[in-house]
Amino acid sequence: MPKNPTRRYIMVLDSRKCIDCKACVVACKAENRVPLGRFRNWINAEREGAFPRLRASFDPEQCHHCENPSCVRVCPTGASWQREDGIVMVREADCIGCKYCMVACPYGARFFNEETKVVDKCTFCAHRVDRGEVPACVETCPSRVRTFGDAADPKSPVHALLEGRRYRVLKPQTGNGPQLYYLL
Amino acid sequence: MDRRLFLQMVGAGGLAATSVACPRFLSKAKGGPEPPAPFGIPTSCELCPNKCSVLAMVEDGRVRKLNPNPENPKSRGMLCARGNAAIQQVYDPDRLKQPLIRAGARGEGKWRPVSWDEAFDYAAARLRVTRDKYGPEGTLWSSTEGFQEVFFKNLGMAFGSPNILRHPSLCLASVNLAYSVTFGTVPSFDLLNAKYVIMAGANRFESIITPDTMDLIGGVMERKAKFVYLDPRFTVTASKADEWYPIRPGTDMAFILAMIQVIISEERHDKVFVDQWTLGFEQLAEHVKGCTPEWAEGETGIPARDIRRIAREFADAGHRAVFYAGRRSSWYQNDFQMRRAQAILNAIVGNWDREGGMVPNRKVAKGEFLFLPWDDPKASRVDEIEKAFPLASAKDGAYLPLRENVLKGKPYPVKAWMIYKQDPLNAVPDQGKTLRMMEGMDFIGVVDIAMSDTAWYADVVFPESHYLERTDPIEVMPGIWPAAVLRQQVVKPIHDTRPCLEIAQGLAKRLGLSDYFDYTIDQWIEAEAKELPVENGLEYMKKHGVVAFSEPKYGTTRNAVYRFVTKSGKIELFSERLQEAGHDPLPAYAAPAQPPAGRYRMILGRKATMTHAALANLPWLHEHNPENDLWLNAGEAARLGIRTGDLVEVSSTAGTVRLKARATEEIRPDCVFMLHGFGKKSPWLRSVHNVGAADAVLLETAWDKVSGNAAMHETFVKVVKV
Ligand code: SF4
Ligand code: SF4
Ligand code: SF4
Repeated sequence: MPKNPTRRYIMVLDSRKCIDCKACVVACKAENRVPLGRFRNWINAEREGAFPRLRASFDPEQCHHCENPSCVRVCPTGASWQREDGIVMVREADCIGCKYCMVACPYGARFFNEETKVVDKCTFCAHRVDRGEVPACVETCPSRVRTFGDAADPKSPVHALLEGRRYRVLKPQTGNGPQLYYLL
Repeated sequence: MDRRLFLQMVGAGGLAATSVACPRFLSKAKGGPEPPAPFGIPTSCELCPNKCSVLAMVEDGRVRKLNPNPENPKSRGMLCARGNAAIQQVYDPDRLKQPLIRAGARGEGKWRPVSWDEAFDYAAARLRVTRDKYGPEGTLWSSTEGFQEVFFKNLGMAFGSPNILRHPSLCLASVNLAYSVTFGTVPSFDLLNAKYVIMAGANRFESIITPDTMDLIGGVMERKAKFVYLDPRFTVTASKADEWYPIRPGTDMAFILAMIQVIISEERHDKVFVDQWTLGFEQLAEHVKGCTPEWAEGETGIPARDIRRIAREFADAGHRAVFYAGRRSSWYQNDFQMRRAQAILNAIVGNWDREGGMVPNRKVAKGEFLFLPWDDPKASRVDEIEKAFPLASAKDGAYLPLRENVLKGKPYPVKAWMIYKQDPLNAVPDQGKTLRMMEGMDFIGVVDIAMSDTAWYADVVFPESHYLERTDPIEVMPGIWPAAVLRQQVVKPIHDTRPCLEIAQGLAKRLGLSDYFDYTIDQWIEAEAKELPVENGLEYMKKHGVVAFSEPKYGTTRNAVYRFVTKSGKIELFSERLQEAGHDPLPAYAAPAQPPAGRYRMILGRKATMTHAALANLPWLHEHNPENDLWLNAGEAARLGIRTGDLVEVSSTAGTVRLKARATEEIRPDCVFMLHGFGKKSPWLRSVHNVGAADAVLLETAWDKVSGNAAMHETFVKVVKV
């Protein structure tokens, strides 16, 4: 985490509750005008076993808004940047579509938007967050899988969740410091 | 109406206790009597029958985004994928944009865009011709659930037709009837507070029902209630259950009877409750004597020791245990009796009207607009429902028996068919028969927002305004957390479309029935809003979109003077009413037919992004389900030499389709499954026209004997690689 941040937005996910209903995916598409066939957020489904011993689990994923975002590091124009509150953004005007960031992201969170001709990804709905709202995926989820909040604010619900439960992050070995926390 | 019983709107103090699953809701709890008006225009979703509350964000006269309205406790502050995709319906380039009259042969796809006047004149003239020749009973008016359905139905009734046909006999008629016969009412299930839930014939995490789906997550995942699930398919619901049993299809009743047998023989039932409130316990005990878990194991394939254990655990959880009813589904010809068995099981553990059990629905009061009444029709119904299904709802009719009669011209000819918001070609089993029925009609008029398959075969198509483009009557949603919602206009209609009321009025005028429709939608909702339990009801509704109870109330019917609305005033385990009507007074089990060698039972189901046939064309949903395929157990597929992606031909006595195969472990070897909503005939549904296959082509005609409800799981199919 940045030193003494005033705000640090993160998302805590309780995947056990995810029912793969795609409400979050469609809400994101509507909110952010994501082109067909492209996704800012998605559900990783894992299925295994043989009848009748079967298992399935669903993990929602999107940009992890990393602490040390490799996408930002490799961007030659500074189009990929990180806000003070930790949200990683792409400045459309500066993106030259070189796609270095797409290669650098260990989570496959970025895609090239053929409509805007720039690289695109989850912004934690920064425009909503700045209005005091939560991201569209968080708001719409029937299962309340997603909790969005400020890790620097002890009163934020994310704090209570991380304190009360064990959690993991995906691919911690990359050193990116991902900020999607999956409750165990 | 006792106003003290009535809440108060959501957000009033004292709400907090009920809001476990709904944090946004909670945060508003302390704000005083009226919550601040939400951002956006409140309205009510129409993409499925749940009527979730929505806030529409409008920019420059266009709906930009739909957000959930957290004020509605029934929708629990969420909007599902379908609800989110509704904007795409409004701006769908394939939408119906003006009235159309058929110009070529039926189904040929030649249309003439016409003015509303011409469409009304044409349809009214044809309806008059039919009436003159066959009487008003020569017309059929069928519709599906919706806030404006009332106007369409009223037009049919004012016209004098007894043949008003609604959707329940394709849906939940058998469930409703079974619970009504037993309890005199259809209760809700308090899944949020239950400790033990058994679910069969319902896939609640994929077919979303509010608030049940969210409460099941809240109850099961957060509070660790035990959840037992029976389904021949490994669904998302199965993946979340503590125990999943791929039960042999059609044997749910054996499982339930065995549970009852264990509970009674071990005296684990709620004796005080049973003595005081039920009728026929002795007969029930006698009736289930032979239904041992060992017997049920042979029927269901579920080990006897599990059935016995589950029965014990269920009874121990007592009034916080529920065998969930399932809804919007009828599977076998004894569906009613299977649901009766569930109702009885629930009754004997005493979960009636208890927190975490079955709770009789409460309602929010609303007023009524009084209009001029019409005379009752002279003829009796063409489906002869009073004779064939005397307990069923004659107001709703019975779809499949009706179709049989119309095809035979019995007891009298029906030659014109008006259809509102329904796609019988995909919603009703045996598409071939429905097509034949359509071919036999002199006239078919369809009201819809898109060119459904049924509209494609019509003579006149009336384009309705989208739900975001019109104001509808106020709708009451009964339940444990009852609400009343308003669907108000959010944007102006973008095409030359009209709401159903205006379509009904246009036709009424030309049929000489204007007196019965002499009002506007505003007058209608004003009258309704007057009785809402809030000050300035209409204004409140326009601002908030919903009025709701703040807190569940348990036990209101558990008092010495309460009489259940049954003949005896008690919960009828043994039903004389059924006996008098010539049915089993206690649910009697008959083993379902098994598929002959080389055939599979076709089973149906839904996905969260794909429920109704009408949704398959929306790009944001379609991209998650580009094509349907035939699920076939991997072992069977290997035996037949079929691999995932191979084209297969599937046939039943009703029809044949071709689609791709999916060899999967996630289904029993004796069943196959395909998703609903594909293989459309209408080229105006671009993404699903001739893509995949329609289940309605294969499903055979079969119905539940007591309710007349379509039995959707009675079809065996043959599968061959092509
Ligand atoms: S997940 Fe990828 S795109 Fe997002 S901040 Fe990390 S590296 Fe960058
Ligand atoms: S909306 Fe929630 S439950 Fe549905 S897929 Fe997204 S995270 Fe999972
Ligand atoms: S469950 Fe989904 S489709 Fe149904 S009313 Fe609610 S938001 Fe709309």
